[in-house]
Amino acid sequence: MEGVRPRPPRILPPVPSGNQDEIPLSRPKKKKAKKSSLDGVGQVAVHQPSESYEPLTSEVQDVPPQKKRRKKKVPPESETSFTEQNGNDMDPSPAEETVTRKQWKRVKKTRPAEGSSELVVEDEDIIEDEQLKGTEQHPVFSAPTGISQPISKVFVEKNRRFQAADRKDLIKTTENVEMFMDIKASWTTKDVALSVHRGFRVIGLFTHGFLAGYAVWNIIVIYILAGNQFSTLSNLLQQYKTLAYPAQCLLYFLLTISTVSAFDRIDLAKATVAVRSFLTLDPAAIASFMYFAALVLSLSQQMTSDRINLYTPPLENGSLWISDEEKEILQPWIVINLVIALLVGISWFFLSYRPQLDHSEELMFNGEVEEYPLPDKEAKLSS
Amino acid sequence: MLQTSNYSLVLSLQFLLLSYDLFVNSFSELLRMAPVIQLVLFIIQDITILFNVIIIFLMFFNTFVFQAGLVNLLFHKFKGTIVLSAAYLALSISFHIWVMNHRWKNSNQFVWTNGLQTLFVFQRLVAVLYYYFYKRTAVHLGDPRFYQDSLWLRKEFAQVRS
Repeated sequence: MEGVRPRPPRILPPVPSGNQDEIPLSRPKKKKAKKSSLDGVGQVAVHQPSESYEPLTSEVQDVPPQKKRRKKKVPPESETSFTEQNGNDMDPSPAEETVTRKQWKRVKKTRPAEGSSELVVEDEDIIEDEQLKGTEQHPVFSAPTGISQPISKVFVEKNRRFQAADRKDLIKTTENVEMFMDIKASWTTKDVALSVHRGFRVIGLFTHGFLAGYAVWNIIVIYILAGNQFSTLSNLLQQYKTLAYPAQCLLYFLLTISTVSAFDRIDLAKATVAVRSFLTLDPAAIASFMYFAALVLSLSQQMTSDRINLYTPPLENGSLWISDEEKEILQPWIVINLVIALLVGISWFFLSYRPQLDHSEELMFNGEVEEYPLPDKEAKLSS
Repeated sequence: MLQTSNYSLVLSLQFLLLSYDLFVNSFSELLRMAPVIQLVLFIIQDITILFNVIIIFLMFFNTFVFQAGLVNLLFHKFKGTIVLSAAYLALSISFHIWVMNHRWKNSNQFVWTNGLQTLFVFQRLVAVLYYYFYKRTAVHLGDPRFYQDSLWLRKEFAQVRS
């Protein structure tokens, strides 16, 4: 018994079933068995299974090394208990001699691998063995013995630290991130440019309407303050002088945005397209022209507006106004403001009639490459 | 290849500078309580125009067309913007000098003469055209076709070499 003990770990075949656990133990004892003149049945029974199970061991290589360790550490008491348990099931005779009895029992256990007559006994043995393992190994080894199962928690590295995260949440978030990345990847500079262009078109659309309304309100106020047949021009100057310059500034601001927006509609930068639009009386082209005319008229009245802004009664010292000249200066200014209001109102009507009309967007982002081979055309024309 | 975030940033900066320019052009006449206010506003406006010109040129340099050596093609395409920017900068500086020269001693003085009025009209009209062309160019340079190789570019390159 003492000579046999160190050997089992070396010869242990890692077959998963409980029966094969016993084989290494039986092997070293085979020599002893020979010596101890056991009957031939026992020897064959011990030898054959070890040979027949040899190929199996190569397949199931991951049979736990715990078993080896168990063999090392299993105390003799456990063996006796094992034999006792087995003995209770299959061998009712009492056991006294350890070595011979063990071998005999192992022979009995391995025998069912050959013959099917004692299958029931084998099943029971396996159950017993696993139970035995469970009871013996748990306190000694903390490593998991079962098949690895995916847990619901996973650990994700965030900010150089691993943090626990729920597996389902993580899958969802990764999907979301992928979707977000897809969307972001598809958002090109062209899309940015288009969105800015469309945004400005919307701003321009609002500005057209606001400008038309403001110009009409402005001219109504002027006419009301000027009175019937411009009879109360001094009253107009008195009342309107605080409004004159802010109104002029606001008019320029709105006219600028409206003119740029109207130019965008006809794509003024492309002269051929713009000229064709004018010749075909495109509403956007007419509106652009009207806005530009209104802008010129408005700017031409800057001097008069400043003069109204700095109005002081003609009799005062340093006054810019002479009592007889009021009508001469103000009448053209009022008429020009009326014309501006009309131009702006008609332009607004033309542009709001087809608010989606935009030649810039059509030409700028769709037909650009085709425009470039101009030298080709020139070369052909020259030849 | 131009990155979307970079382009958005540059475009925002350009629009911000244009907005400031429009604001000063529109309302600087109202902010003449003290001559120094207008002076500062005008100086910043001129610097803004200069910055906008620099930015648009940097955007030109970033295009594949420019890097392929077809500078003339690019300048031919955007010559309106370049000419108008230069003209607007010149007109703005001239107008600012003229106005400030007259208003420096008394900001609420009536300074308008026919010459100043004419310069004012031209400066403001060119400003509108500058806004339109600059905005169009800035938006147009977002087209990815300026930043990649293409058949027409190869044809142009072959023509230039031959």
